[in-house]
Amino acid sequence: MSRREAFLAVDVVGALHIVGTLIAYLSLATLVPAGVALGYGESVWPFLAAGGIAGGTGAGVALATRGDYRLNVREGFLVVSLTWLVAAALGALPYILSGDPQLDRPIDAYFEGMSGFSTTGGSIVVNVEDLPRSLLIWRQFSQWLGGIGIIVLALAVLPRLRVGGRQLLEHEMPGPEIETLSTRIRDTARRVWILYIALTIVLFGIFIALWATGVDEKMTPFHAAAHAFTTIPTAGFSTKGNSFEAFAPTTQWVAILFMVLGGINFALMYRTIVRRQPRAALRDQELRLYLALLVLGSVVVVTEIWTEDVLSGWHAVRAGVFTAVSTMTTSGFSVEDYNAWPALALMTIIGLMFVGGSAGSTTGSVKVVRHLLLGKVLRREIDQTLHPEVVLPVRLNRTVVEERTLRAVSSFILLYIGIFVLGAAALAIDAARTGLELSPFDAVSVSASMLSNVGPALGIGGPLGSFEPFSDFSTILMTGLMWLGRLEVIPIVVLLSRHYWRS
Amino acid sequence: MKIFVIGAGQVGATVVQALHSEHDLTVFDLDGERLAALSQRYDVSTVEGNGASRRVLAQAGIKGADLLIACTSRDESNIVAAMISKACSPRTTTVVRTTNPEYLEVWREGQLDVDFIVSSEVETAYAISRTIGVPAARQTDVFAEGQVQMVEFDVTAKADPSILGASLRDARIPPDSRIAAIIRGDGVVIPRGDEEIRQGDRIVVIGSPQAAQAWGELIAPGTGTVRDVVVFGAGRAGIAVARLLIEQGIGVRLIEASRDRARYVASELPAARVYHATGFDPDFLERERIADAEVAIFAMRDDMKNHFAAVLAKVHGARFTVAIVHDAPSQEVFEHAGIDVTVNPRQITAEEIVRFAHDPRTQQVVMLEGDRFEVLDITTRRDSEYVGLTFKEMPIRGALIGALVRDGQAVFPRGDDVLRPGDRAIIFTESRRVAEVEKAL
Repeated sequence: MSRREAFLAVDVVGALHIVGTLIAYLSLATLVPAGVALGYGESVWPFLAAGGIAGGTGAGVALATRGDYRLNVREGFLVVSLTWLVAAALGALPYILSGDPQLDRPIDAYFEGMSGFSTTGGSIVVNVEDLPRSLLIWRQFSQWLGGIGIIVLALAVLPRLRVGGRQLLEHEMPGPEIETLSTRIRDTARRVWILYIALTIVLFGIFIALWATGVDEKMTPFHAAAHAFTTIPTAGFSTKGNSFEAFAPTTQWVAILFMVLGGINFALMYRTIVRRQPRAALRDQELRLYLALLVLGSVVVVTEIWTEDVLSGWHAVRAGVFTAVSTMTTSGFSVEDYNAWPALALMTIIGLMFVGGSAGSTTGSVKVVRHLLLGKVLRREIDQTLHPEVVLPVRLNRTVVEERTLRAVSSFILLYIGIFVLGAAALAIDAARTGLELSPFDAVSVSASMLSNVGPALGIGGPLGSFEPFSDFSTILMTGLMWLGRLEVIPIVVLLSRHYWRS
Repeated sequence: MKIFVIGAGQVGATVVQALHSEHDLTVFDLDGERLAALSQRYDVSTVEGNGASRRVLAQAGIKGADLLIACTSRDESNIVAAMISKACSPRTTTVVRTTNPEYLEVWREGQLDVDFIVSSEVETAYAISRTIGVPAARQTDVFAEGQVQMVEFDVTAKADPSILGASLRDARIPPDSRIAAIIRGDGVVIPRGDEEIRQGDRIVVIGSPQAAQAWGELIAPGTGTVRDVVVFGAGRAGIAVARLLIEQGIGVRLIEASRDRARYVASELPAARVYHATGFDPDFLERERIADAEVAIFAMRDDMKNHFAAVLAKVHGARFTVAIVHDAPSQEVFEHAGIDVTVNPRQITAEEIVRFAHDPRTQQVVMLEGDRFEVLDITTRRDSEYVGLTFKEMPIRGALIGALVRDGQAVFPRGDDVLRPGDRAIIFTESRRVAEVEKAL
C-alpha cells in the first residue's frame, strides 16, 4: 500500500473500486431489455449473460479493491474516464452475445455501445429495423441512461458515493461550472434525475396520445417508449431506419420541442418549473442566446433549402427547423436526407454541430455558455489592446466569472478544435489508405459529429447511412472521439499528463 | 443642552469647536493627551475612558444628557456606545458616525437602534457631487430636498463683464437667486442693492438649481454640464462618489493602483470603467485622454499623492479638479496649487453631526470658510419679531434670508414679500451670530 502510494500520486485501487461498484449497479439496467425480450418472445439470455458478466466483474473488482480509499480531484478524472469506457463495454455485450450479424464484431459492438451511452446516435447498423426489438430497446435505453449521466444517476441513487461526489459530477455534467440546486450534491443529482424522468414520461404520454388519437398511426407504444428514451437526452438512436421521417409531421414538431427542452440547463429548468421562478429563466443569458441561435440556425437552413428549390412550403420549414434543432442540440434525428441539400446548408449544419445546447443539459459539443464567454473574452481583449490598464471583469447573468474559469473555457475550445482537426485528418488519411469514398468535407463532418455527439454526418455517415463501411481503425478512432466529446475532453486529456500520475 | 461627545479625534475636535460656546459638553476619549489639548482650548469637561462602556457613561451621568455624539474612528465602538446609551437613557438622542455605508443602509431599514447615522463617505460623496453640479463653484449645498442651492464662487477675471463693477440693483442677476454675502479679504459684506461685485471677491449665492447653473455660466463661462468624471483612488470614498455620480447618470472612470482593489471595484460597479494604474503616469494620462473629462476627483487616502496626481492632471489639461483632503493644513497647499475644490471628509462629517445639536427647528447647517459662516435652515416662530415684515423693511444684522420654503415649495423672496410664521428660512450668517439669529426667528 505504502509503496504504491509512493510511486503513484493517484489512488488507482480506490478509483477501480468505485468504477467496479458503479458498473455492478449499472449492469442491473440489462433487466429492462430482458423484460422486453420476454414480452416479445425473443431471446432473453444475451441480456442476462451481459448483466451477469458485467455485474460479476464489477462486483469482483469492487470486492478485491475494498478498503480505505480517497476520492479527490485526481481520482475523479480516472473514475469518470474509466466508468464511461466500461459502460460502453457493458452496452456492447448484449450486441455481441446476441450474435446478430450486424453487430457481432466486438469493435462494431463497442462503437454502438459508446454511441449509445455517449448519446451520440451514429450507428454502425445498416438495417435498424432488422434487429430484434429487445436489442433495439437496449440501444435506446442505453442512451437514456447516458443522457444526464451515469454518475449523476449513481449519486442520486447510491448512498456510498457521497464523498467526493462533487468532483465526479463536475467532470460529468456538461459545462464549465456546475450549478447546484441544494447544498448537498446528492439532492441536486436527485432533483435533476426526477425532472429528467418526468420529462421522459410526459413525452411518452404525448406520443401515445398522438397514436391513440390516430394523428400518427406509426407511433405505437413500442416506438413511443423508444423515442421518449432518446429525445430528451438529445441522443439520436431511432427504431426506424429513416428516423423521424417515418412519423407524422405533428410528431416531428413534438420532437423538435422536446429536443429544445433537452438542450436547456436542467438546474434552470428545475427552478422555472418546480420552484416557479420564471424570471431566472427569462434573464438567463445562456438560455436567451441558446434560443436565439436555434431560431437563427433554423431560419438560415430553411432559407437555404427553400431558395434552392430543394423543398418548399411547410415541408421546407419543418425539415429545415428539425434538422437545425436536431443538429444544434446534438440529437442527430432526421426527417430528410440532407446529403442532397446545397453546400451552404451543409456548411451551416457542420457549423451548428459546434454549438451545442446549454451547460447542465443533455447535449454534447462546445455548449452555448462557452461560446458566450469566449465572445466576451475576445471583446475584452480587443478593448484591452487599446486600453491596456482597463480592468474588465467578464459577467454572466450579472455575476463576475472567475478568471480561472475563463482560461479553462478558452483552453477547452482550443483543445476541442485541435482534437476535431486531428480527428478529421486521421479519418481522411485512413479513408485514403483503405480506399473508402470519403471527401475531405465528409471527413470534417464525421469528426465534428462524433466529437460533438451529434451522430449522423455527411456522405456515407449521413442520416440514412451507416458507419459500417469505415475501417476498424476509423471505428476505434470515432469511438474515441465520442468518449472525448461526452466527457468534454479535459478529464481524459488530464490522464495523459505525467504530472497527473506523479506528485 | 448637555451633550456627550465620544472621541476627540479630528471629527470630535471639530464638533467641540462648533458647539462648545453654546452647549455643555463632556468629551470622552481613551487618549488623555488629546483630551488635555481640547480642554486647554475650550471650556469642556473631559472623561478619560471608554465611551462604549456602560459604567463610564453611567458615571458621567448619561441620564442627564440630551444628545450623545459617538464620533470615534471605529464604527463598532460608536454603535455600541449609542446602543448602551439608548438602553440606559432612552431620552438621549444618539448620533453615530460611521465610515461604512453598509451600516447606513442597515439603519435606514430600521435595524439599528440609533437615532441618526452620519457616514463620512456618503457625506463626502454628496459634498463632491454638489460641487460638480456647478463646476465653477467652490462649494455647493442643497436645501429643501434640492429645491434651493447655496453656491460659493470665486470671482475672477474670467467672469462675465456684465456682473462686474455694476451695482447689484442694475446688474443682470439670474432670476430666483440672491447674493447672500460677499467675502472680501478678511471682511464680509451682507450686500444691499448699491453694493457691487469686484474681481477677487468670494460670493455666496442662494437660489434655485437653475439659477445656480446660470451663475456658474456667469462666473466661469463655458464650464457647462458634466458627462465624464475621472475618480483617482477606489477606496471607500472613491467608490461612494462614483456610485452617487453613476446614479445621476454621469459617466465615471475610476483609476486604482491596487490590482485586487481595481478588480473588486470593477465587479462592484459594472457601470464604471476601471483602470488598474497609478495617477502618476503621464503616458497613461495621455493615452486615456484623462484631460477630456470635465471633472477629475482625487480620492486617494494620501493627501500628498492626491496633491501630486492633481497637479499632474492639471499639467495635462484637466479642467476642473476636486480633491479629498484629510489634514486641515493640506487644504491651503491644495488651494495654492490651483486645485479647484477641496473637500475635507472630517469637516463634512462634523457639520452633519453639529446640525443635530442645533435648535430642533434648524433642519440643516452648512459651514463656509472653515467655520466662519453658516447657512441655516430655520422654521420661523409665530412670535418672531420679523414675522409680518417685508424683506425691504428687515434690518440687516449680519444675516440674510436667501430663500424660503413655504408649504413645501421654494420661494425666492423679492423686496415686497412678507415673512410668514411657519416659513422655513434659508439664512446665511456668521457663526458667532447663530444663537442670535435662532432667537430672532
